[in-house]
This record gives sequence, C-alpha cells and structure tokens, in this order.
Amino acid sequence: MILCGGKFAFPSLQLLAYEKFICGIGIGKGSNMIIDALERESEDSNISFRSFPNKKNISEMRPWIDTIQPDYIFCISFPFLLPETILSYGHEKFINFHPGPLPRYRGVMPIFEVLKNQETETAICAHFMNSKFDEGNIIFNDPITIQKEDTYGKLTVRLSDRLAQVTLNMANMLQFANRIPNQPQDKNLAYYYEKPELSDTYINWKRMTAGEIIALINACNPWNTGADATLLGEQVKIIIASILDEPHNNQPGTIVSITDTINIACEDNKQIAITILSTDEGIMTANQFSSSKNLALKINY
Amino acid sequence: MQTIGILLARSTYYQSISFDLYEGLRSGLKHLGKNEIRIVTENIGFGADKQQCYRSAEKLLLDENVSVVIAYIGHRMAQLLRPLFLAANKMLIVLDAGANVPQEWPTCPNIFYHSLHNSLGASIAAKQAINDGYTSAGMVTGYYDGGYLHTYSISKGFEENGGKISFNHATGYKTEDFTVAPLKEHLENFPNSALLSLFSGDFVHWYFKGIKNSFEGQNIPVYLPPFGLDEMMLADAEYPGNNIKGIAAWSKKIESNENKTFIEIINAAGRTPNLFSLLSWESAFIALKVIELIDQSKNNMTQIASGLQSFTFKSPRGTIYFDSKTNTSISPLYHVSVISTTEGKCELQLENMTNDVQEHFDNLITHDLNNSSSAWYNSYTCI
Repeated sequence: MILCGGKFAFPSLQLLAYEKFICGIGIGKGSNMIIDALERESEDSNISFRSFPNKKNISEMRPWIDTIQPDYIFCISFPFLLPETILSYGHEKFINFHPGPLPRYRGVMPIFEVLKNQETETAICAHFMNSKFDEGNIIFNDPITIQKEDTYGKLTVRLSDRLAQVTLNMANMLQFANRIPNQPQDKNLAYYYEKPELSDTYINWKRMTAGEIIALINACNPWNTGADATLLGEQVKIIIASILDEPHNNQPGTIVSITDTINIACEDNKQIAITILSTDEGIMTANQFSSSKNLALKINY
Repeated sequence: MQTIGILLARSTYYQSISFDLYEGLRSGLKHLGKNEIRIVTENIGFGADKQQCYRSAEKLLLDENVSVVIAYIGHRMAQLLRPLFLAANKMLIVLDAGANVPQEWPTCPNIFYHSLHNSLGASIAAKQAINDGYTSAGMVTGYYDGGYLHTYSISKGFEENGGKISFNHATGYKTEDFTVAPLKEHLENFPNSALLSLFSGDFVHWYFKGIKNSFEGQNIPVYLPPFGLDEMMLADAEYPGNNIKGIAAWSKKIESNENKTFIEIINAAGRTPNLFSLLSWESAFIALKVIELIDQSKNNMTQIASGLQSFTFKSPRGTIYFDSKTNTSISPLYHVSVISTTEGKCELQLENMTNDVQEHFDNLITHDLNNSSSAWYNSYTCI
C-alpha cells in the first residue's frame, strides 16, 4: 500500500503498479485534479483508493488498512503524521521515503534545505516509521548527485524519477530478504528543519555571499516563485540569476550595471546577474524590469 | 581474518566459468601475497533469478560478514542488490561483461563496475569499419546476444561516424535455428557492406562455420567486439576467412610481465586463462584496495569510493583505473585480426592498442538510448 501526497509519487506509483506490488493507494491533502486522476487510475487497475483531505480523516485509515491487509505500507511525501493507532498495524510495516539524507535533513522540505546549504549530494532515505516525523530506524540513504544548475523544481523531478527505482528496489528487498538491515539514527547528526518562512527565503544582501544568494534563488524556484528580496525599495522575487565574478565598489544590494541582466553588488565583492524576476506587476525579464523602472536612465545620471 | 565473498554464475557453453572466476580471484590474491584471506562462494545460477541472487548476497553480507562482495552479474541485478549493500554499508564489485548499456549509468558509492567493455568495444569496432572504408553495414547477431544493448552501441558507433546500417540479421539460439543464409541476399542487395557481428561462446563457432560454408574464399568483412574475440572460444572455431577483425579486451599475446605472470599462474593451477579468470584476477587487486580503504576510512563508504576513484593498477591487459562519473573501470582495448592456426582454427593477431578509450567511453555514456531497453537479467554468456 502507498500513502502519498501528490504528483511527486506518480512515477513510483506507476512502476510499483506495473510490477503488481500495489493493493491500495491513499492520498493526503492533494488537489482535486490529482485526487480525481489517482482515483480513476486506481479504479482502472483494481486498486483500492482513499483520500484523506485533512487530519480528522486519518482515523478512517486503520479500518481501511485492516480490510486490505497489506504486507507493507510505503509513505511518499504523505503530509500527516501517522499516530500509534495506525502504526500498531505491525512492527516494521511502515516505510517512509524521505527526499533528503537522514538524520541530517529531517523536516518537510529537505530539497529546499540541501540546495540552500549548497550540498553537492542529497539522498532518498528509506526508513521505518515511528510516531515522530523522520525519526525511525534508517534502512539506507540512496545518494543522488546535485548538479550545479539544479533548482528546486529540477531536483524534485529527478528525485521523483529516481524514487520510482528506489521504491521498487525496496519492494524487491522486502520480497526477498530474510531480514532488513537497519540502524537507529545518530542523534548527534540529526537536525530538524521547520517549514521555510519568509526569513528563510529572503535575500539578506549585507550578509549573504553571491554563492549563497544563487543557492537560495535556485532553492526557491519554482515553489516560492523565487527568492524574496528588496530591490530599489520594492519587494520582488528573484527567479533566475547567476554569479558574475566581477569586483565592484558598491554597497551590497545596489545595482552596479544593467546589460541584458540586472547586476547587483554582493558583500563578497562579486555580483549576481538577474535574468528573470517577479514583481507586483508580474513575472518579467531583467530588461522589462529596467524599462518599467527607467533604470538605465537612473543609473546613467 | 578478512573474508571476500564471490557470487558465482554458471553457463552452459562456458562450462568452466565459475571455476575460472574462483581461480582468478584465488590466484590473484595469492600472487598479491594474501593467502590468508578467506574466499566464500555462493552460487547464483545464471544470474537471472532475483531471489537467488539477493539471498546469496544477503548470506555473504549478513551471515558470513564478508568485507567485500564480488559478483559476475549485470547492471539490472546490481540495481536490485543496491539497497542491500547500502543498508549493510558494504562494497559490491560487479564483474561486468559490459554487454549492456545501462539506462542510467551508476553512481552509487557502494557499487563499482569492473568491466570487459563489450559494448564499448563494439562501438569502437564499428568505427574501425568506417576507418577501413565501409559506409554500409549489416548488424548480425542472435536471439540471445541480440538481447543486450551492445546492439545499440555497435549501430550507433557506425552511424554516428557516417555509416548506414543497411540491414539486420538476428538468428535463432538453437543449433537447428541458427543460420546465416539470409546474409547472402543482404550482401547481394548491399554489396561491400561490413558485418558488424555480436556473438559469444558457442555462437561464435556456429557463426564462423556458417560464414565459412556460405562465403568460402570471399573474405567478407566481419567486425567483432571483445566476446566475439575471446581466444579460448576462437581456439576451437573454424577459420572463416582473412577479413575478420575487431576489438579485444585481452590476449595472451599481450607482451608484459603482468600478462606473463597471470598466464603462468593460471596455467599452473590447471586452467586455461580466459576473460573470466582475467576479470576476477584483476578483482583481487580491487578487493584488496577496498579492504585497505575500509581500514583507513573506518568504513566510511564515501571515502572508500573516493579512494577507489583514484586507484590505478597494472593488470595483464594494461593499466586500469576507474571513471569517477560512473564508477566503472577503464582498461586498454586492442585492435586485433583473426588469423588461422596450422590446424585451420582461429587465433588473434594483435595489431595495436586502441587510442582514446576514455574519450570513446565518455561518448558512449552520453548516448540517449531512445527508449531502447534490454529485458535480459542474467549475467552475459550465462545461459
């Protein structure tokens, strides 16, 4: 049985269904469009389906599980914590696939955190579940390289595709293994990241290096429509930018020059070149932004 | 005492494969002065039964507590074992025929591929045909060999260098179904075509016999990758004509101290040196390096992988190192021709070492497979 949170799980659902491993699919929250699509596919494949739109409905899960009697329950970005009443269905029956390396990246958005922290590698962690988020015994961390140009979106898609093979491997492992090797998480290495707030997605020109700013911008694209910033006193979101390795004599956060990009001074004597950003007027290119603000004129005079 | 585990496959036409794999490892360790290391073996049949492979690997890891596992398996089976090795924090050294091109090149720190590079050799052999002046070719294979994606690399190697695959012929895998007869018509329709050929084991015998019987004296151009040019099989194959060449992974004619030592030791053990004993002989060097790195890094798999990525050693076929993008070994390849023995059988004539193997490999791993896939799970030649 698979408990999921939406389309991130789709490649895994398709592969596991194709390999005839799935007897039930449950979705937590999720848009109506995704719920409808999943329900339809489940019906066509003769797989039991349940939607759990909110925490209250979780109480309906245990009778459903008892009816279906799955050998194991896989969780893929399922948004709700499973209470002991459900986990008591069976010891080591619930396996979560966390899209970040554990125990270092506990929390709801590890993909954002690994990108923001400029990690070069992340992982999909398969772990047995207990009644706390991301704290059960680790079975394995399956590593995935982070590419330099990865955004939150690109990395999410790659993880989602890779997850399909990881879940299939896990299913095969459960099918063939006499015992599943696993180990408790090292508490000294553990860190729980709360859901990002504005302070986490906001570019602090005075304190952040160009590299840190680009990492944050990529980590916010597309889920936050870019990294939050103040530019010319206006609240904007920077969606696409790159490092411009050119020194400057300006205060961090000021516009140094405008070419096809808006080039902003950073505190480490580098600049970032903004290509696309979002303002109250909409998503626009650097050129469109500078035209709308008469920036070239202001810079020249 | 350190223990190394090895998963041994069996084959109908390479009947000695498991003995060769075992002896290569045992002799390699002995040659390196490590007699005290214990070798534990597990049988995995043809390498196609997922449960058998998994349980055998599990037994070596969890019951025998081996330091490292060596296995003659394909990429797909290695993928199945990946979580087990990740969970156990142990290293798997895959002895890889290189016949398949994986859908996704591996990057797992727990799995390193030591390869004979059949697909890469196939691609370079195809390029050799272009360099020899052929712009048209037919791909010739059998039901079994055609199930691996060296078919893709040999075709792609020919086409991306300006050639055209004018026809394909895939024959059956039973004696009574095996035929090269359709090649006559193909070669009439497309004269001056090279035959890019993919066969292994007994099929090489049947193919050469078919070529000899159907095209006696015509010396039609045949290009082969490493497994088609395995000297042990060629020794019993009828010589079909003097225009047969390709890329070999190894030859007993390679002149080096390392090769001389390898051949002498394997012969002294009562076995004929071949691709399999070579591969596992070399795996002894890699396994010992892994054991050394386990000790140095206190079992930190990322550091062990990093140590292997910068590891180089001299083998009977030349200097070997690992490509860090794919954790796959890169070894020299050789341009060879097939010549006749006095008994009318085949042997290799070494022409020269292939240039730019790394460059060819880098090219191979960038190929988009265009939805081509292989359904064969078993270890190559293990049927």
